[in-house]
Amino acid sequence: MSAERPVIGYAGMTHLGLNSAVASAERGFTMVCFDPDATRIAPLQNGELPVVEPDLPEMLARNRERISFTADAADLARCDLVYVAPDVPTDDAGGSDTGPLEGLIAIVDMAMRPDAVMVVLSQVSPGFTRPLKRPGAVKYYQVETLIFGRAIERAMYPERFIVGCDDPARPLPPALAAYLAAFDDCPILPMRYESAELAKISINVCLVASVSVANTLAELCEKIGADWSEIVPALKLDRRIGPYSYLAPGLGIAGGNLERDLATVCRFSDRHGTDSGFIRAMIANSQYRRHWPLRRLHEVLLQHDSQADPVVAVWGLAYKQDTHSTKNSPSLAFLSALGPFRVQAYDPVVEAEPAFHPRISGADSALAACDGAEVLAIMTPWPAFREITPAQIAARMAGRLVLDPYAVLDRGAAQEAGLDLQTLGVDLGMAAATRQAAE
Amino acid sequence: MLTHRLDSDADPGRVVIVGAGGFIGRTLNDRLDQAGIAVLPVDLPQYDLTLPDAGATLAAQLRPTDAVVFLSSLTPDRGRDAGTVRTNLAIAEGMLAALAGAPVAHLIYFSTDGVYPFGRALINEASPAAPTDSYGAMHLAREILARDLADRQDLPLAVLRATLIFGGRDTHNSYGPNRLRRMAARDGRITLFGEGEEMRDHVYVGDVARLILAVLRRRSSGLLNIASGRSVSYRRLAELVAAQFPAAVEIAGGPRMQPVTHRHFDVTALRCAFPAFRFLPLEDGLALAHEEMRLHEDRARDSNA
Repeated sequence: MSAERPVIGYAGMTHLGLNSAVASAERGFTMVCFDPDATRIAPLQNGELPVVEPDLPEMLARNRERISFTADAADLARCDLVYVAPDVPTDDAGGSDTGPLEGLIAIVDMAMRPDAVMVVLSQVSPGFTRPLKRPGAVKYYQVETLIFGRAIERAMYPERFIVGCDDPARPLPPALAAYLAAFDDCPILPMRYESAELAKISINVCLVASVSVANTLAELCEKIGADWSEIVPALKLDRRIGPYSYLAPGLGIAGGNLERDLATVCRFSDRHGTDSGFIRAMIANSQYRRHWPLRRLHEVLLQHDSQADPVVAVWGLAYKQDTHSTKNSPSLAFLSALGPFRVQAYDPVVEAEPAFHPRISGADSALAACDGAEVLAIMTPWPAFREITPAQIAARMAGRLVLDPYAVLDRGAAQEAGLDLQTLGVDLGMAAATRQAAE
Repeated sequence: MLTHRLDSDADPGRVVIVGAGGFIGRTLNDRLDQAGIAVLPVDLPQYDLTLPDAGATLAAQLRPTDAVVFLSSLTPDRGRDAGTVRTNLAIAEGMLAALAGAPVAHLIYFSTDGVYPFGRALINEASPAAPTDSYGAMHLAREILARDLADRQDLPLAVLRATLIFGGRDTHNSYGPNRLRRMAARDGRITLFGEGEEMRDHVYVGDVARLILAVLRRRSSGLLNIASGRSVSYRRLAELVAAQFPAAVEIAGGPRMQPVTHRHFDVTALRCAFPAFRFLPLEDGLALAHEEMRLHEDRARDSNA
């Protein structure tokens, strides 16, 4: 290999592997992108992408000559370093199915050179990497930090590399060291396999803890006339909490990965007899928060009108913006509890399907979804929704209620338009009354 | 927490109400009559489920297409001692023996929110059941016995844990709307424990009957709390009760016997199970109960005259 420019392989062309590989090409590496599923490779060879991520199409087009997509494992023999990075499927209980990953590792292990380095990048439970057959000197685990909707940004500019090793005191092999060094002096943290495997889970548990704190206190704000958005800046200026802390209230965790990590901690805690009460409380809080829009719909509208048969406009079906994924989506949870009511839905990426709700109809635009609706629920904060003014919404709706958990709409403009805006972390009715009293 | 065996409403062939003569049983019976659904009322003195052969006697009356609503129990005002617990378990033993001998299509076990402790105010179906009194413990034991039978028979079992229920026919005198109304009617004054700070959720018995019917029509199974999701303080409750009377009713604080506790319900599971179901606003339910009690009092006066 060339000491500066090893040839890099990525095995598993799903979300993680694809974005990581394209970002690596952008960093100047020659890439071999392998997946044993030829039906996955053929579209990629034609430039068709299976996932939605900002900058991914442009970056792929820019680096197309440096990337070869292949379904032939033998092509991995060219590589000095191979990342095994398929997405690991999770079930509704947060359990991981690592069977496909193990199968892919076996294929890659057979195909790559004995001296080449294998790095497992997929997320695995503690204890997964060490028993793999490949010798410790050429077998590593690396923590992935993919965020749906920010996958390219995260792959291009990682905060640190967490590398699980057989022996953390041993220098990294040249191919791996050269590859990681190409990412702008990003800190490298070697540690034993088990520590690295748990580090990834630890990061996610800390994130969920922050969000759970925000959710718990934001709900209290809604009841006592406080405004969580006024409190957050005070917290972020506290050095022990920090400017980048996750303090935005939400509708519970979604997407599958965080849920999986919490489930993993509970499973390991149960097996080893350690206390997981705090983790289980976060899971319960997440499940509770998911139904905030449903609670508000009943509290504000339905319980005061026994005859109400509202048309409900829903903006957003994906579990968050900039992704096509609907895994554990709060929007779908909301739809599942709307029973007999008519639903008019719009999402920039996800099609409205009858499986989501028996009386759902897909709208051509966000505003078209509002036509004649009693209530609008903005369930995914897609950036395009921010460009629509409350006055435009009010002109199309029959009712005034807008459930806007993520504060997509401007409060003042919504009030001027006569909308009854309901937002996480603040009782806007009380806020308006306070303002009026002050005036 | 509740799953429906049927995708749309279908009336059960017949409903067996065990405890048909009680406060909830009579209201449910009326509701089923209105819906044109056949009812087999089961209660004392014809059916004494504590007797040794009670199970066989009742089993002889059951049909495989029946839905059974098991309401019968001695409430805390009838005793909180070991004997009351023993009698309540004997009632369940007789009922479950009947079901073991004559499987039915659907079972609803009517339980209480007394299975939840008061340590945490917000309750939902995922809250751990850890009763702190014999009444709650008895119901939890009966739930478990019913679930055991249901598992063995693959019988759809819905466990409904109800919060405080009020209505004109309520003969119990527990601390709630009915007692407050009786105080107001008798004394022109409502005396609260402490200043009535405790928050509780109160549901009108007619809503409970409607909800049981909704569960019957979907052959639902699982666990559901019956609560409106709106808690009010006893002082606010007293004000609402007092407002039913034309003359002013004094509301006074009194000695506090217990520390202040609150109870709120997260009723998401109910809203997911029955999205179109609405509880009567508390104010409307209290007005209905007031009218029912007033009519009952008028009738009693007329018959005495």
